[in-house]
Amino acid sequence: MIIFFILLIKIFYLQVIEHKHYKALSNKNSIKVIPLPPNRGIIFDRNNKILADNRLSFTLELNRKHKINFDTLAHRFKDIIEITDRDIENYKERVSKYYFFDSSPIKFNLTNIQIAKFISQKYKYPEFIIKQGFVRNYPLGKSSAHLIGYINRININDIKNLKKNDLFVNYRGSTHIGKSGIEKYYEKKIHGISGYKKIEVDANQNLIRTIQTVPAISGENIYLTIDSRLQRIAEKEFDNRKGALVAIDPNNGEILTYVSQPTFDPSLFTNGISQKNWRILNDKIKRPLLDRVILGTYPPGSTLKPFVGLAALHNNVRVPPFSIIDPGLYTMPNGSKTFKDWKKGGHGNVNLIKAIAVSCDTFFYGLGIELGIPKLNKALSVFGFGQKTQIDIGNEKSGLLANENWKKKKHGENWYQGETAITAIGQGYTLVTPIQLAYATAKIANEKVDNIPHLRLKPNNNLLESSDDNPTISRGIIGSFNKKNINLIKLGMNSVTEPGGTASFLGKNSSYKIAAKTGTAQVFGLKKNETYDEKILPEHLKDHALFIAYAPAGAPKLAIAIIIENGGHGGSAAGPIAKKIFDAYLEKNYD
Amino acid sequence: MIKLFISKLSDNLDTPLLSTIMILVVIGLTVLASASQENFYLLGNQFFNIIFGILVLYIFANLQPRYILFYAPYLYIICLILLLLVSIIGIESHGAKRWIDLGLINFQPSELMKISLPLFIGSIYHHHQNNISIKAHTFSLIAILIPFLIILKQPDLGTAIMIGASGFTIIFLAGLHWKVISSSIFLFLLSAPLVWNMLYDYQQNRILNLLDPTKDPYGTGYHSIQSIIAIGSGGLFGKGWGNSSQSNLNFLPETTTDFIFSVFAEEFGFIGILLIFLLYSFIFYRCFTLASKMQNTFSKLVAASLSVSLFVATFVNIGMISGIMPIVGIPLPFISYGGTSMVVSMASIGIIIGLYSNKSLIAN
Repeated sequence: MIIFFILLIKIFYLQVIEHKHYKALSNKNSIKVIPLPPNRGIIFDRNNKILADNRLSFTLELNRKHKINFDTLAHRFKDIIEITDRDIENYKERVSKYYFFDSSPIKFNLTNIQIAKFISQKYKYPEFIIKQGFVRNYPLGKSSAHLIGYINRININDIKNLKKNDLFVNYRGSTHIGKSGIEKYYEKKIHGISGYKKIEVDANQNLIRTIQTVPAISGENIYLTIDSRLQRIAEKEFDNRKGALVAIDPNNGEILTYVSQPTFDPSLFTNGISQKNWRILNDKIKRPLLDRVILGTYPPGSTLKPFVGLAALHNNVRVPPFSIIDPGLYTMPNGSKTFKDWKKGGHGNVNLIKAIAVSCDTFFYGLGIELGIPKLNKALSVFGFGQKTQIDIGNEKSGLLANENWKKKKHGENWYQGETAITAIGQGYTLVTPIQLAYATAKIANEKVDNIPHLRLKPNNNLLESSDDNPTISRGIIGSFNKKNINLIKLGMNSVTEPGGTASFLGKNSSYKIAAKTGTAQVFGLKKNETYDEKILPEHLKDHALFIAYAPAGAPKLAIAIIIENGGHGGSAAGPIAKKIFDAYLEKNYD
Repeated sequence: MIKLFISKLSDNLDTPLLSTIMILVVIGLTVLASASQENFYLLGNQFFNIIFGILVLYIFANLQPRYILFYAPYLYIICLILLLLVSIIGIESHGAKRWIDLGLINFQPSELMKISLPLFIGSIYHHHQNNISIKAHTFSLIAILIPFLIILKQPDLGTAIMIGASGFTIIFLAGLHWKVISSSIFLFLLSAPLVWNMLYDYQQNRILNLLDPTKDPYGTGYHSIQSIIAIGSGGLFGKGWGNSSQSNLNFLPETTTDFIFSVFAEEFGFIGILLIFLLYSFIFYRCFTLASKMQNTFSKLVAASLSVSLFVATFVNIGMISGIMPIVGIPLPFISYGGTSMVVSMASIGIIIGLYSNKSLIAN
């Protein structure tokens, strides 16, 4: 009887003391929670053209519980689904790098025939299942890749981040996450809210019943300010050249064109990129993955001159009718050093307006010295130089407005007056991103508004729309500059496309007036006694071509900034591209 | 007239004992209904088994002990022959040859041995009761070992242990000197490695598994773990009749036979378990009381041995489903589905009652 009591105690222990534990185990036995991942939202351009959507696709997946012999795999699937060594290699790489919920894909985009064959002989492949899912589809291919961005399989770091931000629960069952561009910036909206299905299964994992279904909520569709027609035109014009183009509607800050070249195929990432492709995308010179619009920093060259000019006017420096006689070189006030103008022999009698039109260096060297760095930088920062534009794509660089303190900190050296002179012509330490340049151009085109450049269309009259997307910042609106001064600068930019200007060819045969500024930025400094000879210089050391413009000059509808790396002279290299974009946009000529 | 008949019927029957068994049997049917997922064919069979069992019980309860004594050796020999037959023409099920096909029913000679062995050994000691010698002990030991080994090879570790236990109970009660007992235990320990090697892999695994059931949760530990989960998830009040998810969704194996008590525990909880324990306790208490009141050696030995046999079956079954003992295929007396088990249990009770009420071995 005593030993009988032992049994009773044991059962008491199991049923009463450890009940919760076994209750949980019992539920775990029979109740399975199957995550229902949401569909990603679709990305449209401003004309409802699809930039990214989801395509139904079937993948052959290997259950994670099983171990299989990879050596015989190809043979086992002979006549059904071709599995190559490459597939197996990629599979192993994928599994080691990314996170998979219960099964991991080995073959993608199965055809109907392959699926039918597999299903008819399913019993032979107990370790495999065919999964139906949506894969991200980019109908434009390589076009607009930096803008749209790409998604990739969720990896260990993503999981860490998601957990840190308490979002991991929402990613149960999700396989992908936005990694760059709009896909990343609006990930929260695009991803949607995951649901789940609670089911009861028997010991053989057969479905007995569905206990509860909480459907997933698809991600929000994102409508961009982008006009993909303009994208295509710009990309075509760039051809094989490297660089970036940004076009902004100066009336509301909407970005219509956002091009970074060379580009890449975002679908390469969808299922984990192979090492070979990754190497290609990380080519040291071409750098196709680099989003030059926000991450490329360039010396602005002469495109900075209109802004420098406005800074001078604002501070009563060299206000017209002040003029100089340009001998083709500038001598520092203390006579210590001389700086050459780009044009031998100089431009003759030059005032501020002409200085902009012909891009007179001599005029701006002196202007810089008279204005001084602090006042210059203060004015430039009103245009957003040296700071992030807060464009809704994230991760941008802020460029650089250098000064005495910065140099001391960075290089431990004093600031030379000569550096002030070359800063005024956009050389020196100053660095800008294409988005900054476009933004500044839009600002000078329309001095009344101060819109943060943005890529997501603001829903019309939608008061519910939270304001967190587009934080409002105040840089001080450009209107704080004297209207008369702004008009003087605009006059200068107008004359750039007029006879005698550096881009006069753009004024010919144009039905509308273009205000512009050309620029050529030195990639590397010539040593004394060296002359710049385009012919003998290696391609990647050639000057960058820059160009800013807005049109129609009287009532601007589009502001453009273009940078062509190693493109030579800004006007001749980038000007025609701008003209194409203007033509398309202003004359509705998209062919 | 009918009244008289009924009183005559129940004259020899121990009413408290029998009513307790009846309650247990009814509970058993109820659990079986749930555990078999209301398989009426199975329920009908079991109902028949019970009726047949009661009949057997009644017959044995009214059988004169001297007949039992007389026929004991023959019964034992028939059993041995059947056991040997089983190993030749037996029906194989679950990798073990235990059943013999009698046309209408299949039955397990090893179960029958549970009765015939105690009777036979009892009779041996009865004939030597004035001079219990080493010879009698040796003879008994051999009588135990032969069926024990045959059944172990079937293989049916559970029944072999039960038969060994009931046989040794008799030797022990017959007055084996404690020196012999202790030295035989010593011998057993010495021979343990030998016996271990004789065991089949799965039998070894079951014993190893007892030490750590989670080591191989989908292999040998599976039954044990699922059974413990069933019991534990039942809690204090149980999930209610028919609501054993462990059983209904087939996580538990053998829900109608060896693991029926797990289903009961899951559905009726600790309260239900307490009730069953009370019922069993009363049955064993009653059986042992009756055994102790027997007036001759044969009756005393046989009754005690059969009681021990029932007790061990109950203990081992509940022990195994609750993870105290290794998984050996022993059904729970009066509750598990199965004709042989039910009839043998009923017969054991019948014999005990019969030996008690017909006290004399001499013809009236």
